[in-house]
Amino acid sequence: MSRFLISVLKTSCAGLACALFLLLDCANAAPLKLTLVLSEAGGAYREYSEALEAMLVNKSVTLQVIEAGNTLPESDFIIAAGMKAASTIARESSTAKLAVLVPKESFNKLLNEIASQPKGAANNYSSIYLDQPYKRQLDLITAALPHVQSIGVLYGQPPEELNVIRHLAATRKLVLHERSSVDVANLYNNLHAILLNSDVLLAMPDAEIYSASTIRNILLASYRNKVPLIGFSPAYVKAGALCAVYSTPTQIAKQSFGFIQEFKATGILLPAQSPKEFEVTINEQVAHSLGLNIKSASKLRSDIGAGP
Amino acid sequence: MNGFKYGLGQYAVSIVLPACFTLSASLSQAAQNVVTEQSYLEDFPVVLSASRLSQPLSEAPNAMTVIDRNMIKASGFRTISDLFMLVPGMYVGNVNGHTPVVGYHGSTEEFSRRMQVLIDGRSVYLPPLSTVDWEDIPLNIDDIERIEVVRGPAAASFGANSLQGVINIITRDAASVIGASLSLAKGSEGVADAAVHYGNADELLDYRLTVAHRADSGYGTPILNDAKFTNQANLRANLHPLGANSFDLQLGYSDSTRGMGIYPKPDDIFRNIHVNSGFQQLTWLHALQNGDEVKLQFYHINQSHVDDALASPNAGAIVAAQTVSDRQDVELQHTLQLGKSHRMVWGVGARTDYADSKEMLVIPYTFKESRIFAHDEWKLSTDAMINVGAMVEDVGMGRTNTSPRLALNYHLTPQHTLRAGTSVAYRTPSIYEEKVNITGAYVSMGGLRPEKTISKEIGYLGELGSTGISLDVRAYDDLVSDIIFADPAATPSGWPFGFANLYSANYHGYEGTLKYRWHEGSNVIVNFARQFARCEITGSATNPLYIPLYLQQNINDCPVSVPDYSGSILLSQQLGNGLQMSAGYYHMGGIKMIAGIPQTVMNRVDFRIAQSFGKVSQPGSGEVSLVVQNAFQDDYSKYSLTSETNNIQFNRRAYIGAVFNF
Repeated sequence: MSRFLISVLKTSCAGLACALFLLLDCANAAPLKLTLVLSEAGGAYREYSEALEAMLVNKSVTLQVIEAGNTLPESDFIIAAGMKAASTIARESSTAKLAVLVPKESFNKLLNEIASQPKGAANNYSSIYLDQPYKRQLDLITAALPHVQSIGVLYGQPPEELNVIRHLAATRKLVLHERSSVDVANLYNNLHAILLNSDVLLAMPDAEIYSASTIRNILLASYRNKVPLIGFSPAYVKAGALCAVYSTPTQIAKQSFGFIQEFKATGILLPAQSPKEFEVTINEQVAHSLGLNIKSASKLRSDIGAGP
Repeated sequence: MNGFKYGLGQYAVSIVLPACFTLSASLSQAAQNVVTEQSYLEDFPVVLSASRLSQPLSEAPNAMTVIDRNMIKASGFRTISDLFMLVPGMYVGNVNGHTPVVGYHGSTEEFSRRMQVLIDGRSVYLPPLSTVDWEDIPLNIDDIERIEVVRGPAAASFGANSLQGVINIITRDAASVIGASLSLAKGSEGVADAAVHYGNADELLDYRLTVAHRADSGYGTPILNDAKFTNQANLRANLHPLGANSFDLQLGYSDSTRGMGIYPKPDDIFRNIHVNSGFQQLTWLHALQNGDEVKLQFYHINQSHVDDALASPNAGAIVAAQTVSDRQDVELQHTLQLGKSHRMVWGVGARTDYADSKEMLVIPYTFKESRIFAHDEWKLSTDAMINVGAMVEDVGMGRTNTSPRLALNYHLTPQHTLRAGTSVAYRTPSIYEEKVNITGAYVSMGGLRPEKTISKEIGYLGELGSTGISLDVRAYDDLVSDIIFADPAATPSGWPFGFANLYSANYHGYEGTLKYRWHEGSNVIVNFARQFARCEITGSATNPLYIPLYLQQNINDCPVSVPDYSGSILLSQQLGNGLQMSAGYYHMGGIKMIAGIPQTVMNRVDFRIAQSFGKVSQPGSGEVSLVVQNAFQDDYSKYSLTSETNNIQFNRRAYIGAVFNF
């Protein structure tokens, strides 16, 4: 599939389509050599890759897709999908780089690690984070559950943007109940304590607390206490969380396309940013059973509005 | 498939960790501190699948009262049966200090046979009497998560014998107890209770264990020998190795010694009874990816009841008597979503009941039952919903009972709902009623028809905006026919008695619950009921003189077999700094049960004050409390069948409780 697309791209500038739609690109420069490095071949990475390829048809961009660990071809612009790929390309100092499908905190840690590298490898490394800004998550909570007065959060290490969520909660007159230093050993005691005085539990992407092996008991306890869980991916909502705001790999591909176009036109690498487009999903059965009369997912999506 | 992968992964980790603890712990610590995109991208099995999600009250096909942990605590009650005083229209009396009588809407007698009682789906309405021995249930009141009392027949959802209602007790999940705690209570009338709870929740296995002791000296009157002490233990464990499957195992044991006897009745001398029982229950729950679910449940209950000196009336001898009973039940249930507008539950089940009592039955009997049921929640629109269902039950001996149900719930607005429903339910005659054979005393002729209820109701549920006020009211009209009653022989003395389908009763009235919550932990719950009853003789007695001489008087008293007005108020107030105060007021109008002794108007006020300390649910935390029951020494008489025990009052009593979490 990709081989076919690449060959189409290589010849596209000479074609009629190019003449009609991409006159400017064709006139200005040679095709942009874009390399996409995937952490893994399947799943969300594949969805991202396919969406991006489809957008690049007839856009004077030559795309090469490789898996992390393979030799990088000569490139003008490198996109890494996932943390594994993001680390492998981190030290490519001379090329503009974009990391996608990476959590903000992990990406920033990676930047810190390479900050001491010569030639400023960190300077030309941007990202579209996978996580939603806290503001958007709080917007979802207040749009879905206007009567919520307190939010519970559990974390092991304090998240990088803890102060952001504290500040956001305070400005909305929401009480934030926090339990820190939570690990598997003391998880359920802390969970019980926080469920007792919170109206909702906001899940944090801390793999020790929220994982496939703990999600069952967390969801059962939250349901038992009639404290809905707010997830951060559609999988949480399928399992039994009340709702989540998230961005699909296709939406992130669309935003990446904006980065590519800007770079191609101006040579400027856009700064790291949160996903612009996003979805809201709700578990209607859970909402229903908890007696929560909440708006539809599409209404909530439009209530939260566009962009951070 | 995903579940399988995670399951194996966890298993591997749990083996590796103890082997090289220091190294692997520090490595995993380092690895876990880096958040990867996997947290966002990984898939999970459905956890809150159909049967774990309860139906909201506004969509339930019946009136329902939910008693939750906060209400249990606030009430200060030590025994499960007392909690039903918080249900509108429900009668709670006591034959003595350890034998409660729980009934709903009349037809109540000593063995309160006309409600189904389920604990996590296990029917504890046991042979041979088809009654619930509340004292013997291996369940500590602290282990109850909530009780759903379905007011009205609900055979289509809850199975056989839910003639007038269903008490559905849901115990705490295996994962809900972490660490150890000790509860103690000590007070007047010999109250001495202790319970140890221990539990843990883990990635693979959750469990909780309770060992408890309960004792008191009953009513504290020389007329009754009704002291008791009960020991019990139960275990609930949940194994969830693969994401979509879980296995819930419950084991329980109870052993009690209770005083029996009424002074000065020669046929009811002071002696002890010893009751012990055990149960094993295994439930396999399989959640499908679309939220549908399959559940397979098996349970076994056995009970032994030994009376040191049972005096058979007219038999002239006092004998030690043992009754052994046993129940095995298996049920398969499938819950599925059909399109957007239908949620369906269907299933099949079978049960074997066994009873052996040389003194009562002469030979052992086994009754078999099998059933098929289906129930559909059909959403006609966003505002209207129909619950339709039926159970067809084969109760053996060629008899099949069909119990249909139809209810319509209409949301005027999301906050205001109207409900109208009709249903049919049956009560199969007990082994005792069919087969009793106590020479000269009770000899059944058998061949009884099941009792039948046809119930009709209309109700309203409303929430008044964000005021914290909710209201749940209904009017009902239930016809219970073919009621089984003692039927004397055509001898001059009347002995021996058998049983016959002798009369029918119409119960109607209105009842409701008003709740107002003004703050977390501060609320008031008001229940009220207005009841009317009307009975009519519909069967023929073996002795033609029996009806005019005896039964007719009882039938004439039928209108007072329910209290005119009854109700309760439970007030809880959080006073800050962990101080919680609650008060309960219980009222019941005068009542004379069929064949019982009249009870005058009853009132009672209970208080509870509690101070908690430490960080909630953390080691070192706990609570001390004081409960005063019938604080103002109001008249609150016990249920009575004989003049000797007439007018024995439930006197003021107090106990101090303490809970420590370790």
